[in-house]
Formats: sequence, structure tokens, C-alpha cells
Amino acid sequence: MHKNKFITPEGTRDILFEDCAARRKVEAKIKDLFSSRGFSEVITPGIEFYDVFNSESHGVSQETIYKLIDYKGRLLALKPDLTMPIARLAATRLRDQARPLRLYYSQNIYTMTPALTGRSDEIPQIGVEIIGAGGKRTDLEVLVLALEALQSCELDDFRLEIGHIGFFSTLIRKLHLDTEQTEEVRTLIQNKNYPALNDMLDKMDDKKTAAALKKLPALFGGEEVLDEAASTLDCPELTPFLDALRSLYHSLAELGLGDRVSLDLGIVNRTDYYTGIVFKGYIEGLGTTALQGGRYDSLLSDYGKDEPAVGFSINVDAVAKVLLPSMPKNPVPDVLVFAEEGYEVKALLEIRKLVSHGFCAEFSTFDTFDESRRYAAKRGIPTVYVVNEDLVEVRLS
Amino acid sequence: MKPIRIALTKGRLEESTVRLFEKIGYNCEQLRNKGRKLILEVPDANLEIVLAKAADVITYVEHGACDMGVVGKDTILEYGGSFFEVADLKFGKCRFALAVKKGTDFYAGYKVKRIATKYPGVAREYFADKGMDVEIIKIEGSVELAPLLGLSDGIVDIVETGTTLKENGLEVTENIISLSARLIVNSASLKLRKKELEAVISKIEAAIE
Repeated sequence: MHKNKFITPEGTRDILFEDCAARRKVEAKIKDLFSSRGFSEVITPGIEFYDVFNSESHGVSQETIYKLIDYKGRLLALKPDLTMPIARLAATRLRDQARPLRLYYSQNIYTMTPALTGRSDEIPQIGVEIIGAGGKRTDLEVLVLALEALQSCELDDFRLEIGHIGFFSTLIRKLHLDTEQTEEVRTLIQNKNYPALNDMLDKMDDKKTAAALKKLPALFGGEEVLDEAASTLDCPELTPFLDALRSLYHSLAELGLGDRVSLDLGIVNRTDYYTGIVFKGYIEGLGTTALQGGRYDSLLSDYGKDEPAVGFSINVDAVAKVLLPSMPKNPVPDVLVFAEEGYEVKALLEIRKLVSHGFCAEFSTFDTFDESRRYAAKRGIPTVYVVNEDLVEVRLS
Repeated sequence: MKPIRIALTKGRLEESTVRLFEKIGYNCEQLRNKGRKLILEVPDANLEIVLAKAADVITYVEHGACDMGVVGKDTILEYGGSFFEVADLKFGKCRFALAVKKGTDFYAGYKVKRIATKYPGVAREYFADKGMDVEIIKIEGSVELAPLLGLSDGIVDIVETGTTLKENGLEVTENIISLSARLIVNSASLKLRKKELEAVISKIEAAIE
């Protein structure tokens, strides 16, 4: 057991130097963007009551939550999601604030993943929520913000894929399936598992709706997808969703973001949670989703205030991983300042001066010049200042 | 242009997959004479082929180290994961089944049953659906041995023809699910390289027998 004191738990890691710099860069760029658009930061606790995430209709599955027990025997959770605590906050302490609330966060979430799959259990996320505003305008703003957030990180290639939960929820309602069958169809569409989806839907009586559902996972790509959907889905109830996506797509194209956007009518992740537009961000060189978001108009009522909301979160580590190769190496100080016995204060004053001139200076903790020089050589610090009555500059190399 | 990387399952599915690729017209010379090379090329098609153990195919595809993969449904059911499962390749057909010693009634008695299997996830799920508590023992090699040695009451395993079972005095009591090889695709790759990947997928689909 005691071997564990030398290592970190599976799914976690120490983050050093350039890795930190990459992460902080992503956070700084995106935070700047968010605050320049009128969003304010909130920090919710790392530990919350388990109940926050255990809502009947929107809950996080219990297998993935890290749980703790408090001194009264109550169940706590290491936060598996950042939106739910913010929904709680919006419905309680921020209940009487002017709407819409524009909030952003930059915090870790914790999720238990199966061991040894190479996934992180501790994921830094940064994201926004707009609470108390429904409608097209808000959707557009959030999409623009998501695209600009990825753009601000200086990535070579990225894509935002937009869908609408309405396609699936409208069609599936017409089939009158029970929860389990609904979930099965949803999973098959999510996994683009055409063969099994066809088998399952062939059994349905409503052939027209089944045919439309079968096509859903294949409807992804550029704007042409909307025309294709209009002609092949043959279901007038879906027209408002197609119109909504088309109008969003056009606005984004006018903003010069068209080549970054694609559509997927088969995005059906977390259908119990999302109620309107849904979107995902992908980055070239990354096998996983980097950004995830959508409209969730029914979540807030779980916390006692029924109001619309939309938001997204970015996996900071995923973006940082792509940036890492282009990050400068961990910088070395320009000068090591060594004080002879009795000249420590003078040396520290000298450091103050160097720093005010824009240099990075390190104070030598060694008692002798030789030790200081050896240390400087080892770390690659190019210059040593020796402070006594005078000030001697020694250049190494 | 960056090649499309495909992970293929070594062993049981390998020959059929190579035959499928040959039918498409891919030059499979390197696949036929692979020597010690780990990453094989398909000249003129901008494809790279990696041969891996079944579960690793899923891992490579899920992380995006490979854009697509060919893997048995048995492995997908056991290991899960998030990727697109776009086509049933219709070869490597077999089924998961519950088998017991010939002539015994698996459900008799109230004792908690013991199941030996290479697929603990599948076995657990199957009995959980029945609302039945079972004890599952993971076996790495020939699972058929476990009931014969009295270690377990039954096995959950892949059955192709049933010959091995019969030769060892076992019989299938229940079929769990039919299996075959599947084409899986990394979700980010399909979105970022839609045209290239769809071209390969449709070629493969057209060649399915």
C-alpha cells in the first residue's frame, strides 16, 4: 500500500512547466474573450451535495461520480459537472438578479472513468452559461462565442458542429416507445450504428417516422444537409428546426465563420438534458470532442426556477494538448545574483532593480561563489552577479 | 495528404478483412507478406493498416490514433467505448451463448450460479437484465474447461459452429446475441475528414457480401 505515496491515482497527473503554461494560455485567452462580452466569473465549490447531480430527469449517472461522506453522514460529490451547480446558484442566490445572467467558469470537473483507458478523471473546463434568455438571438451569440473561443487559442483547424435536439425528440415521440426503447434508438443514432438502427426501426408500425429516424445519423456535413433533410425527412413538424439551423448557419457565414461550421442532425447526446440547439467542437489532431454545449431550457426548474438557459464548456486540457508543441520551453532566469557574506540586502536590492528593467533574476541561496556558478551552469543561467562592495558580472559559457 | 489509418483485428477476422480489401481493389501485398512491420501501407490508396488485438482496435480508434477499425461485435459489447459503428461487415458471424454440461438444468435450485467467461461485462449485463445474481469468474483460455472441472455451472462464450462444445459434452441452453465483424470510425475523424472517410466507407459497404 505504501508504494502509492510515490505516484498519483489513475486518471490524474502532475502538470509541469510547459504543460501549465499551455493550460494557462488557453484559460487566459478564453477568459479575456468572455469578460469582454459581459460575462462574469463564478466559482462554485469543488465539493457539492450529491443531490445537486441526482435530479430525476437530468442526473449524472452515479457510476461516474466520485463520492465522499461528510461529518453528518451526508453524501457529497466531487463535482462531475459545472452547469448544474451554476443552475443551482442562478435559481437561489442569483434569483432576483437582472436576466439574462451571463456567467463564466473555469474549474475542474471529476469523473470516474474505467481504469487504464488513458482518460483523465480530472478535467479542467472553461465555459459560459446564459441564463434567463431563450430564442434565436441567444443561440446565435453562444455559437459565435464558442467559435471565437476556439479561434482565440490560435488553433490550425477546428470545426463546430451544430444540431438540434428537436429532430430526434419530435420523431421519437411519434413512435410512442417506452424509455428503454427510446434510449436504445438514441444510442444507435448517437453511434451512427446504421445496421442495428435499421433492424430496430424496421419493426415499427409508423413506417414514415421510422424512415426519417433512420436517415438522421447520416445527415451531417455542410449546408446541403438542410436541403437534403427537407426533401428526405418529409415531416412538416421538423421545418422550424431546419429553419432555425439555416438561419444560424447563414448568420455565422456572414460573420466569416462559415468554413468552421458544419451540421449534424444526428447529435443526440444527453437528450434528457438538452432541449434546443446542441453543438460540439472538434480540433484537428485530437480524437475527442473539445467543446460541448447546447440549450437546456428544462434544467433550471429542477432547482426551483423555470427559465431558459444555454451554454457550453471547453475541455482546457484537450486544447492545451494541441498547443503544447508550439509552447516556448520553460524559461531560464537571465541572471543569478550571488551575495558575499553581509551583502544579502544589497543583492536583493540589485534583484529589484534588474526585475524593474525587465530581467528575470534569481537569488543564489549558496554560501560560495563556486557553488553558485556550478548551479548556474547546471541550470543554463548565462550570467552570475557577484555582490560585495562592488558588483561583478561573470558571464558563463 | 495524411493517410487514413485503419486498425484491423488480428487472427479470426484477419483473413476475411484482407479478402474484403482485395475485393475493393486495394493492393494488399504488404498485408499478405507482413514480416515484422507493424504499420503496413496500401499503395495508391493513401491507407495505412495496423494489425492489433481486438480490444486494442477499439482503443486506437477511440483515441483517434486510428481513423477506423474492423472489430468483432463481441469486443464492442464487452469493452464499449465512444465511436461510430457504421457498418456490419457480415463476416466472422457467430453468437454469444450460455452453455452448460449436457443434460443439466442451469436454472434449477436456488444456489447462486457461477459463470466462467472471457467476457465478464457481457455476462454480467445478460444476467442483470434477467434480474439474476450470478458469480462471474474470468477465464483467459479455454472456457469450456470450467464446467467440466466443476469450477462453474455454465459458460458465456462465443459459439461459431458448436463443435467444440459438443466434443466436450456441453450444449447451448440460450443464445444471447448474434455477432459479426463491424466497421468502426473515430467520431472526430469522421467530422474533420468527412469526404475522405466516406469514400472509403462506401467502398467497403459496396464490397460487403
